[in-house]
Amino acid sequence: MERLIEIKKLTKIYPGVRALDDVSFTINKGEVHALVGENGAGKSTLIKILAGVITPDEGEILIDDKVESFSHPLEALQKGIAVTFQDLSLFPNLSVAENISISRKIEEGDMVLDWSEMKRIARKAIDELGVKLDINKKLGYLSIGNQQLVAIARALVHDAKLLILDEPTASLAKEDINALFRVVNLLKKRGMSILFVSHKLDEIFEISDRISVLRDGKYIGTYPKEEITEDELISYMVGRKVRYTRYDKRKRQEPLLEVKNLSKKNNFKDISFTLNRGEILGITGLVGAGRTEVAQAIFGNNVPDSGEIYLEGKRINNDSTSKALKTGIAYVPESRQTQGLVLGKSLADNITVTILDRITNGLNLLDKRLKTGIVREWIDKLNIKPAYPDMQIDQFSGGNQQKAVIAKWLAYNPKVLIVDEPTQGIDIGAKSEIHKLLRDLAEEGMGIIVISSELPEVLAICDRILVMRRGRIAGEFTGDDVTQEELLNKAITKAG
Amino acid sequence: MKSIFKKKEMGILSIVILISILITLKNSVFLTPGNLLDILKNNTVPGIVALGMLLVIITGGIDVSVGAMVAAVTVIVGTFMVNFGGNLLLAFLVGCLSGIILGVINGFFIARMKIPAIVVTLGTMSIFNGTILYFTNGSWITNIPEWFINFGRIRLIGIPIQVFFWLGAALLTFFILKYTRIGRGIYAIGGNPEAATRAGFKKDKLIIFIWAYLGFLVGLAAVVHTSIVRQVDPNAFLGFELTVIAAVVLGGANIMGGEGSVFGTFLGVIMLAVINNGLILAWIPTFWQQIIVGVIILIAVSIDVIQNKRRERAMAKIDVEE
Repeated sequence: MERLIEIKKLTKIYPGVRALDDVSFTINKGEVHALVGENGAGKSTLIKILAGVITPDEGEILIDDKVESFSHPLEALQKGIAVTFQDLSLFPNLSVAENISISRKIEEGDMVLDWSEMKRIARKAIDELGVKLDINKKLGYLSIGNQQLVAIARALVHDAKLLILDEPTASLAKEDINALFRVVNLLKKRGMSILFVSHKLDEIFEISDRISVLRDGKYIGTYPKEEITEDELISYMVGRKVRYTRYDKRKRQEPLLEVKNLSKKNNFKDISFTLNRGEILGITGLVGAGRTEVAQAIFGNNVPDSGEIYLEGKRINNDSTSKALKTGIAYVPESRQTQGLVLGKSLADNITVTILDRITNGLNLLDKRLKTGIVREWIDKLNIKPAYPDMQIDQFSGGNQQKAVIAKWLAYNPKVLIVDEPTQGIDIGAKSEIHKLLRDLAEEGMGIIVISSELPEVLAICDRILVMRRGRIAGEFTGDDVTQEELLNKAITKAG
Repeated sequence: MKSIFKKKEMGILSIVILISILITLKNSVFLTPGNLLDILKNNTVPGIVALGMLLVIITGGIDVSVGAMVAAVTVIVGTFMVNFGGNLLLAFLVGCLSGIILGVINGFFIARMKIPAIVVTLGTMSIFNGTILYFTNGSWITNIPEWFINFGRIRLIGIPIQVFFWLGAALLTFFILKYTRIGRGIYAIGGNPEAATRAGFKKDKLIIFIWAYLGFLVGLAAVVHTSIVRQVDPNAFLGFELTVIAAVVLGGANIMGGEGSVFGTFLGVIMLAVINNGLILAWIPTFWQQIIVGVIILIAVSIDVIQNKRRERAMAKIDVEE
């Protein structure tokens, strides 16, 4: 195979950490090359260097055997490297057409824009992807999956030789992922190289030809997909052999939370289940099956049209989140960054934000010592690292941010804890810690509902599993005798 | 995108028409050509400045110093004409240039020092106002040269000359926003600043351009203003910035950035003007004008927010299996 890009001895040093340490590997023409590694392994740094967002301290990049350097994303684009960032870097207030063609126009240096030409460029790019999109629509009105396709179309406009997809499937439903993969395969057939960065190993094995592994900023190796197993890959990523620890499943009989015939128009219908004390109940299904909506209903944030909810045998009527919290139900939302954290504030502030009334002194002013004590306790209990209460929450890794969010709600002492996608976008080591934390909490008698799309996770930690499909409960599974395939089957097949 | 903007503007237009009908029922003088031309002429100044404010608001900024800026430029131009005479071209040149300089001062602190626009302009507003007072002691300049006063009286096809400056500024702004790279960059920055930089827009330069352009329009407006009132009152523009901001917001611009149009902003200015003029013609006490404007702003923004929420909910809709 012909070589497209050669990365040679790339090093990037940030204060106190070698984010990339002497990394070298090659990307061939027309291959889908996966880049994997835990959080902090250096993937983002490498992408940013390739994209021209940052410049390396040492090393060089060769494109078609020529040394190239770039200090701005536009320069990288001109050299044939296009990136769809995790946040997509699109403009929600502009039309699809403009989103696709605008950087091409900047590159060409046009001061005055020809709209019909811009639309032509956009339409051509969308057609090349083999998808149907209205280019006159405002981008903000598109689903995330379609926005992803727009981001790829923009890369096509620049005749990219290498397309970097940074966690493209993180917030996509299964059908959207399939659509994305069809596009990736199409581009590959045309000779484009794709660098696919993802946490999801099953997807990596599905789509990629070769897989490169980074760990702690160092290059571990590149492996053809056929010559490596998922277990081996994980062990290269973490440097030790771990899988999700499977916890013992137990049958518990003391009902804590009962949900009866909960329905809401355009959300969910006839939802009934029981959560026992000390039990972890998993709710899985495709994104958009209504899982979060049900959780929000229990938490008082999405009032149902009909149905009843009982906590410890008593009917509760939660029409606000503060009521839900008072009755003992806490909800850890799906998106840490936008719903769970107060960014720009310290770890300590984030942990204590729900319990401000409990850390005041006689004058109703904040008691600093009391606050520090509580914060220390949670840092120890949840093993939050680094253990700096005053460090800004933004600077913690995804896993530790997630622990802080959970700590925040635990500080409230809930009887029922609902966690929505608790390990999304965090590395395997941190995932295992979150899993253990949830199991420990259940051991102490808390009832926990885990909403997750990651089937291995659900299988590993949940005592019982509900599968939702199109707003209804499609199946219930108990214990160990269920496989990923069965769950997935329930989630996607249409009954009858 | 087009249809959405259109829809919003049609809404504003229908409110303007509705108010006009109500006023005409009360006093038929309102709908006479003379009165309508007066409304246009008397709102040229906020109308021109609002176009510059529109650009600033689309990028997510705000300028509370425009009142002080217009006042400062009227003083500069007035003093210049009284002391050096000069001609029309020179008057406009001095006006626009000093406006641009004041605008660039704001732009520098916002783009280079990364200080929020509201803080910068609060500071410069105070500085500009203080400086004007220092030089003028609050006294008026009344001996404006005859040639300039004559210029202010010109009518073309029966329409006061000032209105053409407004029209010209509106067309120029429309062209910049719709058809130039700079204009699209303004929307891009307002929609997603990080992505705008990644797409290749030079953010700092763009921001400084916007503030310079606002300064330019402020200078233009100041000269036009002087040609209307034929004197310079250093205190004439207290509270002017709020009128301008209100007009832009009423015109459908999103104060969070990313959205807004020239036509909408024009309608926003006209709406304020019609309410103002109409309530006077209808013999309604002026405090009602302020209350009504406030209520309309709140209703307009609420409708916007509700529509966005509804759209989000529509996207989150789940196709429940029956």
